[in-house]
Amino acid sequence: MKSKKLSEKILRSIKSRGFKVIELDSVIETKYILQRSGEKFKKFLFSFYDLNGKELCLRPDLTVSSVLRFIQNKANRKEKVCYSGEAFRKTYQKKDSFIKNQIGFEILGSNNRQKDDKEIIDTSLNILRNSPFKKSVLKIGNVELFNLLIEKLDIPTRWRNRLKRHYWNESYFNELLKRLETNSDIDPVFVEIDKSRFLKMRKDNQNKIVAGRSYHEILDRFDMKIKDPRKTPTGKSNSKIIKEFLKIKCPLEKAPKVLNPFFKKNKINIIVEKGFFPLSKNNNKNLRIEFSAANGREVEFYSSMIFSVEVKIRSKFRNFISGGRYDQLTTNLGFRKVSAVGAAVNMNLYD
Amino acid sequence: MTKNIINIGLPSKGRLKHDTINIFKKKKLNIYSERGERDLFGYIKKLPNVKIIYLHARECIEQLSLGNIDIGFSGYDLLKESEFNIQKDILIKKRLNFGHGTVVLAIADLWLDVQTLLDLDEVADEFKKKKKRLLRVATKYPNLTRQFLYSKGVTQFQLVQSLGSTEVAPFTGTAEIISDITSTGATLKANNLRVLKDGEILKSQACLMQSKLSNKKAGIKKIISLLSK
Repeated sequence: MKSKKLSEKILRSIKSRGFKVIELDSVIETKYILQRSGEKFKKFLFSFYDLNGKELCLRPDLTVSSVLRFIQNKANRKEKVCYSGEAFRKTYQKKDSFIKNQIGFEILGSNNRQKDDKEIIDTSLNILRNSPFKKSVLKIGNVELFNLLIEKLDIPTRWRNRLKRHYWNESYFNELLKRLETNSDIDPVFVEIDKSRFLKMRKDNQNKIVAGRSYHEILDRFDMKIKDPRKTPTGKSNSKIIKEFLKIKCPLEKAPKVLNPFFKKNKINIIVEKGFFPLSKNNNKNLRIEFSAANGREVEFYSSMIFSVEVKIRSKFRNFISGGRYDQLTTNLGFRKVSAVGAAVNMNLYD
Repeated sequence: MTKNIINIGLPSKGRLKHDTINIFKKKKLNIYSERGERDLFGYIKKLPNVKIIYLHARECIEQLSLGNIDIGFSGYDLLKESEFNIQKDILIKKRLNFGHGTVVLAIADLWLDVQTLLDLDEVADEFKKKKKRLLRVATKYPNLTRQFLYSKGVTQFQLVQSLGSTEVAPFTGTAEIISDITSTGATLKANNLRVLKDGEILKSQACLMQSKLSNKKAGIKKIISLLSK
């Protein structure tokens, strides 16, 4: 009851900023989750089949339902929406509940990135102001900065793509960095043995299919792989630059002053301007605003700005609001591109 | 009366059944059935409080977790594949010296460009970007495979449940790669498949297991110690 009143209060405050309250479907097609997150998320789904054999699941989060609604309504114009409800995820920790209470707000079809990013953050800070939490920290990062850094480094394309793809999986990413230092993914003995088979296969019909891949695809990738430099002398230094970059944390207003000398020192042609971040001023004494290069690495669908608001509860900081920009979510789901930015309030903190 | 009966689950067929029965024979505990070879219940003259139930090795794990059988013989792979709420109610009392095998990830031998999981990850990404679908993995071990692939950074894939002859899946259009248990690798090779260099998921063997729900049952410790000597 208490949390219902609170969620109504929060929704009212979001609504007062021009967001329209919408209802979302509780059941969605499992394929959309699979397309977005692959099998890794499937184990958290409550799924079942309908009479036509279609696999459905209880919504594991509200963002996907909201984006699907926007696409199914064939909406083209910018839409500011908000919603509240329960998301359902199986839990493998005794203490966790399988019901996640969430309030979300989004700007779909967002064309003015800077303005809309700022609006989502301002709305989040307004919710924070009206909450009972006193001490808080707003962390802002931007995955585009990381992607840009990787593009500028002198590393094989294969490695570039790997690092970008696995940015979201921290432990595996660290393993990859170790491998980058030695480039130990090619075994010269195997390559020599396979070269003769390669030549034999090249003479055959290139459209022949083996386990879903054509000879042409297999051989082209083999060729590309062996032509890529086996050892890059810069492997170690590049790995060091990436690690140092991801450790950068500082007050947001000082971010350009910290980032620009870092890029300059490492001879990387990137300049971060003051206006790059959606916020510059902080009028709240109890709120610390910081730039964190590795912020939000655990949520894969963000494509540029990522932020989180953490609040202090019994001497520990816990996540209260998290959000960011997800311009690629709809294309990952197999639909047309819809630029979107949004955030979700973790209502379980009130329980 | 039935409360005092100790139910032992044995594999109902194959090599695993044969090797398990040998354990009893070596201890001079001869198992007999009242209704001939097809009878799925058995008894041991020397141990009148013991009832033998022949089950599929997977079923053995399920029944142990429910406490319907007190002791069971099954594979380590099947235990690790089962859901967490099943595993938590089962104790491994002894790893036995038979039923050895390794659960592996295998690909078509002609995929020359794929040697390691790093390659597989790139191919999975290509499937998603160019073919607009996920790489499919046929398996009898969905939980182990999902966990393994994810731990190695391969996340863009879809599991396809296989009930048998998994090796044919890449060549019938059911899936692109497979994960399966192998002991010598001969079946994989005969079907033009190759294990990835870092594609070992789990080493397995037959195990003597006990249901945690039977901990306090009279006589259980004695029988476990007799069978594990």
